[in-house]
Amino acid sequence: MATVFMRWLERRPATYDRGIRLLTLGRLERLYRIIAASVQADHQVLEIGCGTGALTSLLAEVTDRVVAIDVSEDMLTVARQKLDEKELLGHVQLTRMDAMALEAAYSPGTFDMIVSSLALSELSSTEQEYVLRICRQLLAADGTLLILDEVAPAHAYARLLFGLIRGPLRLATWLLTRTTTNPLKNLAVKLRRSGFADKLLAAALGGTLCVYQGKPEVAAGFESVHEQIPRIGHDPNIASRLKDAWALFFRVLPPYPKFEPGLYAIGKPDSDSPVLVTGNFDLTVRRVVRDIEGELDAWLLVVNSSGINVWCAAGGGFLSAERVIGALKMSGIDEWHRGKRMVLPQLCANGVDGNVIRAQTGWAVNWGPVRARDIPTYLENGYTKTEAMRTVDFPVLDRLEMVSATLGLYGLMVLGPVLIFWRHLFWPILLALLGLSYFYALALPLIPGRDGLIKSLPLAFIALAGMVVFTWLTGPMDPLQLFRRGVGMVALSVFVAAELQGMSPLMRGEQANWGWEALIAVMLSVTYWLLPRIMGWSA
Amino acid sequence: MAGSPRLRELLLEHWHLARTLRRLEIVFDPERCVGLFECFEVCPVDCWHQNREQNKVEFIGARRCIACNACVLQCSVEAIELKVR
Repeated sequence: MATVFMRWLERRPATYDRGIRLLTLGRLERLYRIIAASVQADHQVLEIGCGTGALTSLLAEVTDRVVAIDVSEDMLTVARQKLDEKELLGHVQLTRMDAMALEAAYSPGTFDMIVSSLALSELSSTEQEYVLRICRQLLAADGTLLILDEVAPAHAYARLLFGLIRGPLRLATWLLTRTTTNPLKNLAVKLRRSGFADKLLAAALGGTLCVYQGKPEVAAGFESVHEQIPRIGHDPNIASRLKDAWALFFRVLPPYPKFEPGLYAIGKPDSDSPVLVTGNFDLTVRRVVRDIEGELDAWLLVVNSSGINVWCAAGGGFLSAERVIGALKMSGIDEWHRGKRMVLPQLCANGVDGNVIRAQTGWAVNWGPVRARDIPTYLENGYTKTEAMRTVDFPVLDRLEMVSATLGLYGLMVLGPVLIFWRHLFWPILLALLGLSYFYALALPLIPGRDGLIKSLPLAFIALAGMVVFTWLTGPMDPLQLFRRGVGMVALSVFVAAELQGMSPLMRGEQANWGWEALIAVMLSVTYWLLPRIMGWSA
Repeated sequence: MAGSPRLRELLLEHWHLARTLRRLEIVFDPERCVGLFECFEVCPVDCWHQNREQNKVEFIGARRCIACNACVLQCSVEAIELKVR
């Protein structure tokens, strides 16, 4: 159930347009028209991040040579429908592509105009600069770049005011539509550094929603975006401990704590030192650093995985070969590293195509161990893994951690209704939930069965016994009450088992959970709503 | 949340996915295998056995397989597929 809920939160196209309209207080349309007005009929136009195609259809009315890319298949589906309704689909080539992959996909000087609306703000700061450099390369010498995005004011007081006004609006918009944006910082500077002459074309909302124009000025270089490679070390402080605590109990809820993507030095690496790749989930990066530091000198290439752990990010399309290649190029390491060999986490092999990286960069790709703490031994043994390093297990500490991580969310899902309808049972149910969850986490390997209903039955027996003792201690044993509480406890234990099996890396469980949860809902409503009505019982 | 038609669609889609996921299985064509052993390297549940003499892999983990798709993606000779049973 937790997954369905999460996917519902992340499902944006349906509400995206509404959210964006709300966020920008409806000023977007006028700016779109300004952009469309500078397109000519014979222009070859590239739109980066077309979203649901609002700007795309305006562009397609002027020219029939539009290429529109977006990373989200869902967004592209909506855009395709929208363009089809307006009979403009023939004018647009819709492609699912990461902006990072543009450089490899098109030859220099291909486009007369490149536009991007509210897309750059979804990238990290270094990625924005990298994409601007790609734009500079893909633009014809007399071409134009138009960026429409939210811009944070340069002045500190103005930024504070901006934050005060935007804060509530952003929260409201997120709650209503699950859409939000992060304002761009120093866009004009980034444009200039990427070889553009910048000009502010239009602005709305007190100068926070802007259209910037970039005209190619000097030849764009692809020299490294980082002039100095920052060193990171394992240095726990209050902020990192707070983030760990958040990650421990609410890991499944966004915002996932993110680490700024880029190249980092661990220890004192040189141009022959191993290159380790990881995603930018904050906890992942800190754990990798903790396990490596002091053991060896290495380069750590943190790839933007939208702040999600590598396994889920690769499975969900957030961590891909394009992202890794982009990070490699952006960091500049491609130009000076001698070994040209990277170690990818084995657990991103479900979404990062190693062959694409090999073909497009010429780097050797090795699949590292499952756990970061095995990396030093793995490298010592000449990039070879033992069976234990290759295999995922689910030891008791991990099980306890995962229970805590998911308990935050599913605890809320269970305790919310309890607090509203059965307030007097809140504490016993909270205790039952905690007890069942942690007992299950501890006893998982001892319980027979692969996965499914069977594995949750022992839990149900324990829960029933606990409930009988509780009822006996607190009052007279009313058979009707016992029956109802019994149904409730069985439902609770099946729910807990289903959620916990879903987190196990060794089962296909997660996807199959909610069937049981539907069953639980039926059981509960029959016992607490339908039966009393039919039999004429009083509550 | 409950009244949203989108959520209902999503639940149905999820239900369908769940059924499909349970019925996914690895289909391996040994004829195509050229012994790169990438599948062996990336499998998190140790489903592949390296047969050094024949320079091929053998699929030994039908019951363990979690259908993560890693071997399918990394196999550059397209010898592995995930199919619905």
